[in-house]
Amino acid sequence: MRAYRALGRNALRTVLTYRASFVLNQFSAFFQLLALFALWRVLLASGESFAGFTWPQMKAYLLIAFTCGVLMSTHGDFRMAWRIRDGMVAVDLTRPVDYQRARFAEALGAGAAECLVVLLVVGGAIALTGPAATPTPAGALLFTLSLLTVLPMKFCIMYLSALLCFWTQNFLGVGLARAAIVSLFSGALVPLVLLPHWLQTAAALLPFSGTTSTPALLYLGRVEGSGALGLLGVQLLWAVGLWWCGRAAWGAASRQLTVHGG
Amino acid sequence: MALIEVRDLRKVFRRPVKDPGLAGALRHLVSRRYTDVAAVDGIDLTVEAGEAVAYVGPNGAGKSTTVKMLSGILVPSSGSLRVGGIVPHEDRIANARQIGVLFGQRTQQWWDLQVRDTLELLREMYAVPRRDYAERLERFDEVLGLGELLPVVARKLSLGQRMRADLAAVLLHGPRVVYLDEPTIGLDISVRDRVRTFLRSIVEEGTTLMLTTHDLGDIEDVCRRIVIIDHGRIIYDGPIARVKDGFARERTVHAQLHGAPDLCGLREALPGAELRTGQDPGALTVVFDRFDLGNGRVVQALAAAGDLVDLRIEETSVEDVVRRVYAGDLELGDLDRDGEAGPGATAGPAGPARAGAGGGSGPGATAGAP
Repeated sequence: MRAYRALGRNALRTVLTYRASFVLNQFSAFFQLLALFALWRVLLASGESFAGFTWPQMKAYLLIAFTCGVLMSTHGDFRMAWRIRDGMVAVDLTRPVDYQRARFAEALGAGAAECLVVLLVVGGAIALTGPAATPTPAGALLFTLSLLTVLPMKFCIMYLSALLCFWTQNFLGVGLARAAIVSLFSGALVPLVLLPHWLQTAAALLPFSGTTSTPALLYLGRVEGSGALGLLGVQLLWAVGLWWCGRAAWGAASRQLTVHGG
Repeated sequence: MALIEVRDLRKVFRRPVKDPGLAGALRHLVSRRYTDVAAVDGIDLTVEAGEAVAYVGPNGAGKSTTVKMLSGILVPSSGSLRVGGIVPHEDRIANARQIGVLFGQRTQQWWDLQVRDTLELLREMYAVPRRDYAERLERFDEVLGLGELLPVVARKLSLGQRMRADLAAVLLHGPRVVYLDEPTIGLDISVRDRVRTFLRSIVEEGTTLMLTTHDLGDIEDVCRRIVIIDHGRIIYDGPIARVKDGFARERTVHAQLHGAPDLCGLREALPGAELRTGQDPGALTVVFDRFDLGNGRVVQALAAAGDLVDLRIEETSVEDVVRRVYAGDLELGDLDRDGEAGPGATAGPAGPARAGAGGGSGPGATAGAP
């Protein structure tokens, strides 16, 4: 455990070394937030609701989507894939730590800095545009549990996509495809309820909704009672399942490993 | 039981076969063809605890691949290996605790952090007690001048500085087996000497060392045993002294005399020696077998042959021997069979120098410890 804590600390130190680059990295999520804010503001200006969302509810949804987008993104798949392609994975493997847990610890460590960004942006947005919808106490509890589950889920999705590097030898295409797919099926782009029916079905069968839509729906209380517990249960199951997928993929990938020279 | 035991170890990589040019690339998209390349091709190796082994061979011989399998990074294609009773690729983490690995080309440091931060991380990772940590840092400071590097961000280190910091990172947890790949690359002469002294001292303290290097000075200074690998096979495994006695028998004396020497007298006094005269009438080179003639006898003969002004003795080093092996001029397999270099040992450049070298991985070649 000590080793993993130390890895997380060093990852955070690295983030703090490059503060400007870190802040710039968050810009894409921030500008998406700005654009969506402007768009939904206009759509909901008349005070009516759209697809069941009022403006304060949509604002809460967008801020949660932003939060889920920023968390675990710094030590993401691009960075992991780069270390694999570069051959630095050889040095990582000489360390007495589990490869997957070590990368998770690093992603969590960098997450501390990401929390700061989230607090600043969410606080700023509320200060500038007025309050967002607030959850019921039960909704707040379910949301907290769900948001915590987002962390391993997002990590696993990125870990799996980074491991594809072992087969594709190149990551850019995989990384961009991963970002596009996750953004659509997680509900980060628009709430899933606004998607055509067939896409909603696909989203329900895929794990990605657990990384944005689920915590947002639980926060807003759009699903309640056993439905809410079921949603959280599915999210948890996906998190565990993806973690073990990561293990299996690593097992296959490490047999694929070729590191040439030095 | 030996600390490192390797039996018939093989690692085969699959390499895509692509015809040149765009057409070749497109064809490869449709019909993929691969060829198997054996980087390590049936190696047997036994290393006892506390041994220092030089593992040498030309580029692409399979040295790094062997070390990566011993570290648990690569999974062997076939064969067996154990390090301290652990199968590295099956229990990588347990194996990682007992080893230290330095890849000369890849840094141990966290690129964006100070050297101190990386060492602190490693202290926690290997659960090194604070007292041991402080003692080791002090020792690294004495030998490697580590103190001045601690506050430096890794990406700002020069190659030599990086190597010093990396050596500290590898040895920080006091591993029982250390694999070093080119540990003195980029070091200046004084630091290199200190590193070699340090390596000798950790070996004396019981650390097992496997040294992969092209700097044969490292080998002669630190190791007593040398394993030479080529084309994925071991072609020699035995004491360095044996290689030297077998092949580095030649000694050369460059002499400067006042005026032309008495060559006839010299030939009589030094039977079997080769005499070469230079443009300067007083310059003379004597090449002789150090087991047939001693330095004293040669010097006496030179003094008798004329007025001796200056003298320089040149020894054939292991480096020359290994260079000849790499070039295919020398087949060390004969040394294993005969116990000494036979007349056929120096196969000509066109001779099948490496064709029969597979015998080197036979039982005679793995006799092991000096």
